[in-house]
Formats: sequence, structure tokens, C-alpha cells
Amino acid sequence: MSEAVGVVGRHVPAFSSSLRPNALYELGEWGGERLVRRKRVLDLGCGDGRFALAIAPLARSMDGLDPDPDAISAAKKNARKSDSRNVRFRVGAAQQLPYDDGAFDVVILSWTL
Amino acid sequence: MVDALTEVHRVLASRGTLVDARPDSRVLAYAERRTERGFQRYGIIRTNTVELAADRASDRAIAEIKRRMLFRGKRQGRFWHRVAFDNLADLRQYLVEHLRFVHRARWVVDEATRRRHAKDPFVIRRAVRYEILEKTSGL
Repeated sequence: MSEAVGVVGRHVPAFSSSLRPNALYELGEWGGERLVRRKRVLDLGCGDGRFALAIAPLARSMDGLDPDPDAISAAKKNARKSDSRNVRFRVGAAQQLPYDDGAFDVVILSWTL
Repeated sequence: MVDALTEVHRVLASRGTLVDARPDSRVLAYAERRTERGFQRYGIIRTNTVELAADRASDRAIAEIKRRMLFRGKRQGRFWHRVAFDNLADLRQYLVEHLRFVHRARWVVDEATRRRHAKDPFVIRRAVRYEILEKTSGL
């Protein structure tokens, strides 16, 4: 098995808490907190906000967009629970983003494309 | 998909960052039994053909936005992700319901071994890929 690790890369710590990699761990793989720190971030295809809410404390602002109204309802509920004040979720399609030109410093497609 | 990525280009500030992260279907996933020393491979799990085609379409979309010079790749990599299960039955049920994987693993251990360890903890280990891209001015 070890040769496969060499070919593909490093392991996420075993037994992540969810069926997806831990958001902060995934962010670490991408380059760490500096990628989003004090930046305007859009999580495109945010689902229930799992990823957006995990990294929101690092960002200046965090927007989440998803075409599924139920997922956005869940994301808003999760945001209230986590008391995140810099997070906004809305329903929308990636093909017609409801944002101004140049509105974000970072756009994240996490398991979306 | 290219339409969506073109929209991403629009809403990004100059030299903004796009992160594309997703399961890597070019690499096989594995069913593994957790042992005291680590993990023992029990089976190989392929991605289903529909998702393979979708992944290739995503790859083409990323290649197209690079060709149009909307973005340039800065860095890419892969890592492993393990999804944990209490036992082999739970892993099999997960596969039956999973949208990306084929519904049955190709076992690399015999049935008696699987039965003997069926109540042990198992994982599915799969590769996740990512690419960091930077917005450029376009053609």
C-alpha cells in the first residue's frame, strides 16, 4: 500500500469525522489558511454550508451559493447555530452568478465541478 | 461547465484564486480493513462510467479556460481520504447507495477471509485531487 501513497500523495488523517475530508484539513492541503485569510470567499456549490462555515472565521466574508433551496435552508440554519456573522447563503446557479464583477478574492469549487 | 467557469472569472477580482477540488476518479479507490498495524486491502472500487465521463468533462472545462487564458494553473496535488465504517456490511451498503462508485467492490481476498473479519472496522480510501488557479486577463 505504501507505494500507492507515494504515487498519489499524503494521507488525510484516518477516520475523518464525515464522509468528506475535514474542511480545515482540505484547506491545509490546498496551501493553508493564507489562501482565505481576510479574503472575500465564495463557496460555489456550498450544499449545507459545511465547508463555508468551517473556514468563515478565517475569511473577511464568506458567501455560499447552491441551486438546491433545501441545502441553502440547511446552510442558513447551520450558520445561525454557529453564530457566523460574516456568512451569507443564497440559492442560485453557477452559470449566472448573482454577484458583481470582481466581488471575490477566492472562489472555491469543493467537490462541485 | 465552461459557462460557469467564465462566470467565476467575472466575479473574481484581478489575480483572484479559483480552487477546484474533487475526487480523483483516475485513481482507484480501495476497501480496506482496519488492523492494529494499519490497513489491509480487501477490495478495489472503481468509479462508475457515468461519473468517469462527468469527470472527464470537468477536466476538459478546466483545460478550456486555461486555453482561453482566463486562468492559469498555479499548483495541483492529491491526497487520500478515508471514509470509515463500523463493519463490512456498512461499507457494502454505502457502495450500493453511492452515486460515484460502482456498487460492488472487486475483492482481492477470498470470501472466507471476508466473512471472518466482517465485523471489523473498514474504510474506503480514495484519492482527492485539487488545483489552484489564478485569474488572468483572457485572450
